[in-house]
Amino acid sequence: MLDVTPTPLQRLLRERRPGYSLPAPFYLSPEIFEADMEVIFGRHWIYVGVEPDVPEAGDVMVVDVGKASVAIVRDDDDEIRAFHNVCRHRGARLVHEEKSTVGNLVCRYHSWTYDLTGNLIHAEHMGPDFKRGCHGLKPVHIRSLEGLLFICLADEPPADFDEMAARLGPYIAPHNVRNTKVAFQKDIIEPGNWKLTMENNRECYHCGANHPELTVPLFAYGFGFAPEEMDEHDRAEAERYGCLLKTRHGEWEAEGLPSREIDELDTMVTAFRTERLPLDGEGESHTIDTKAACRKLLGDLTNAKLGGLSVWTQPNSWHHFLGDHIVTFSVLPLDAERSLLRTKWLVHKDAVEGVDYDLANLISVWEATNDQDSELVGICQQGARSPAYEPGPYSPNTEMLVEKFCNWYVGRMAAHLGR
Amino acid sequence: MNSVPASTEPAASRLAATASWDAEADDALVCLAVRDETHDVKTFVLAPSGPRLFAYAPGQFLAFAFEIGAETIHRCYTISSAPTRPHALSITVKRVPGGPVSNWLHDTLKPGDTVRALGPMGDFSCFTHPAQKYLLLSGGSGVTPMMAMARTFHDLGGNRDVAFVHSARSPADIVFRGELETMARLDPAFRFHAVCEADAPDEAWAGPKGRLTLETLSAAVPDLPEREVFVCGPKPYMDAVRAMLREAGFDMARHHEESFDFGALPEAEQQAAAEAGRTLDAESSAEAEAAPAAVRTFRVEFAKTRRVLDCPEDSTVLDAARKAGIRLPSSCAKGLCGTCKSKVTKGTVSMTHAGGIRQREIDAGMALLCCSKPTSDLVVER
Repeated sequence: MLDVTPTPLQRLLRERRPGYSLPAPFYLSPEIFEADMEVIFGRHWIYVGVEPDVPEAGDVMVVDVGKASVAIVRDDDDEIRAFHNVCRHRGARLVHEEKSTVGNLVCRYHSWTYDLTGNLIHAEHMGPDFKRGCHGLKPVHIRSLEGLLFICLADEPPADFDEMAARLGPYIAPHNVRNTKVAFQKDIIEPGNWKLTMENNRECYHCGANHPELTVPLFAYGFGFAPEEMDEHDRAEAERYGCLLKTRHGEWEAEGLPSREIDELDTMVTAFRTERLPLDGEGESHTIDTKAACRKLLGDLTNAKLGGLSVWTQPNSWHHFLGDHIVTFSVLPLDAERSLLRTKWLVHKDAVEGVDYDLANLISVWEATNDQDSELVGICQQGARSPAYEPGPYSPNTEMLVEKFCNWYVGRMAAHLGR
Repeated sequence: MNSVPASTEPAASRLAATASWDAEADDALVCLAVRDETHDVKTFVLAPSGPRLFAYAPGQFLAFAFEIGAETIHRCYTISSAPTRPHALSITVKRVPGGPVSNWLHDTLKPGDTVRALGPMGDFSCFTHPAQKYLLLSGGSGVTPMMAMARTFHDLGGNRDVAFVHSARSPADIVFRGELETMARLDPAFRFHAVCEADAPDEAWAGPKGRLTLETLSAAVPDLPEREVFVCGPKPYMDAVRAMLREAGFDMARHHEESFDFGALPEAEQQAAAEAGRTLDAESSAEAEAAPAAVRTFRVEFAKTRRVLDCPEDSTVLDAARKAGIRLPSSCAKGLCGTCKSKVTKGTVSMTHAGGIRQREIDAGMALLCCSKPTSDLVVER
């Protein structure tokens, strides 16, 4: 039998060394970027926003995923739908602003008009033989996981979304995303490949040295450590955290708040991980004083001391659900060496800025953390360009989730391309 | 040698024209230039697409068929240029609030655009009543046939005794003011007098103020009885002049008013001229006639474009705007697509839409003009 010569990408996937960072082309190559967009972002569930981004009928949000632009609308029956943001006439982009409110979706070019279920309802001058029914907007798969919106650009989306939703849903539900509003959104363009942004997120090895704000509420040890190297102080801290974790998980679960870890980061197609983590200090929120930033708690929650529920999904999101607010992150690749990090801070929809919460206080920890991470991603990207770069080993104690991210990525790419 | 040097300048080909323009053969005229005369008066310079000469008597008019939106609208406009410069002609148009054609001309017609015209027509001309002394009397935009006559006499020289008395709202509204003053300075036989009803914001009027009276007229033209008189302007103005001349015992056989000679027009153009009305103020009277007295009309002001129209209560704002020659973005015209969505900053409308607008938008003062009828005066952010 003749051997088939693998493509360079297939060879790179096959040769990837487990436990090590990816070879440089995965961070640099425009061809691999194209493959990422086609395979990872074109065929998997991508986290793009929250239901409160389109709170009322007629609200539209546009999200660009690579070359695709998707309009997410809430229709008159309150159902959330997604369409390719492309007029069926001559392909003009339909909706131009990230957020808008419309009666119907109307192309500004020739006023072709679509209702919010995507039907073409008005097109002048097309003659008697023109079939409107054949020119509706192209739908995009969209699912809401307790208010978190995921889209899939593939014709056939991965079927295991339901399993994720069933297992992850109960963790998120008490925070009642649907009953929140977006208090603030910040987009930053990180100067690095999207995988570096994700890898940076999947460990806290770098937290102690880089995140003076985040490590006030967050125990860096919550994400693993190597006990043998720790001094007395550190060991005491780790022990305190260990006890706290055990006690709090028991308490929270008793209160009906699922808290224990589920980790399916490289074992599912629609992969995820979650765990409710105790917070330091007052234990209430990701704030600089560890107290709740918003007086109105989320959902039916009555106690702010709920730590933080962390949720990770592959390939592009992470989330922190606190008792008083939610911080939610999505990563949207722009090109091989630039990525959009979109962060939204959600509070109870009736919370009033300046009365129930101070915006600067609400966002300060993660604004600072994001800026710090963006720089770190940038220096990794610079390093990956160097001829001296070679994949380095991950810490078995603190970088297990990075390894799982890379495993998932390599596995998904290989599943579609073959090794 | 007295030959003209060879030229490649395209304008030169126009001067080389020998044949006359014949509207029957080619009714298309190309707009060559648009000039601001005053804040609300523009001159449109027109010529055939190929080199042709215009032949007409000063005071004559053309009947135009303008394609505005999906409609063809007929209007007559007096030629304001002089036949002594036959390579192009011009019409001078005042913007009439709500006027479908004047607003369209002001806002839309630009160099390179084509309009269709027939003519020239009419016998309101100094040429049909030769005299030693003329008095040209005009009010407002009635200035155009008088200007054609004045320019013609000026271009031809000959020291023709011409007195031109023009009535305007304010000094800022005196059309052709600079040119008329220049002609008066260069030609001792030409005299120009303006009468203004009011001061302009930046100019106090030093001349005769108010409406034209026999007193003012006699002061300006003491030899009034010796003159052949041509009058053009709004109907009240022409009525007033007639009364004045009668009072002065003027020989009314030598008094001539602008009036279209319907008999001289082909049938279709008779219709057009009839629609245009007797005076150059045609548009406002046509508008007034279009609205039956029983229907209330409301004033609709477009704040950004500073245009105003009257909208009958049973008409949508979009329809009224279309009739007035005001183009508003629109498509479905049935409240579906929302292309005409506009903010109504003052006033109220009744709107029956078909899903092209959200209640939240309505609450925020937005309206679809295609399906909104005014229930009060409106100010629209457009």
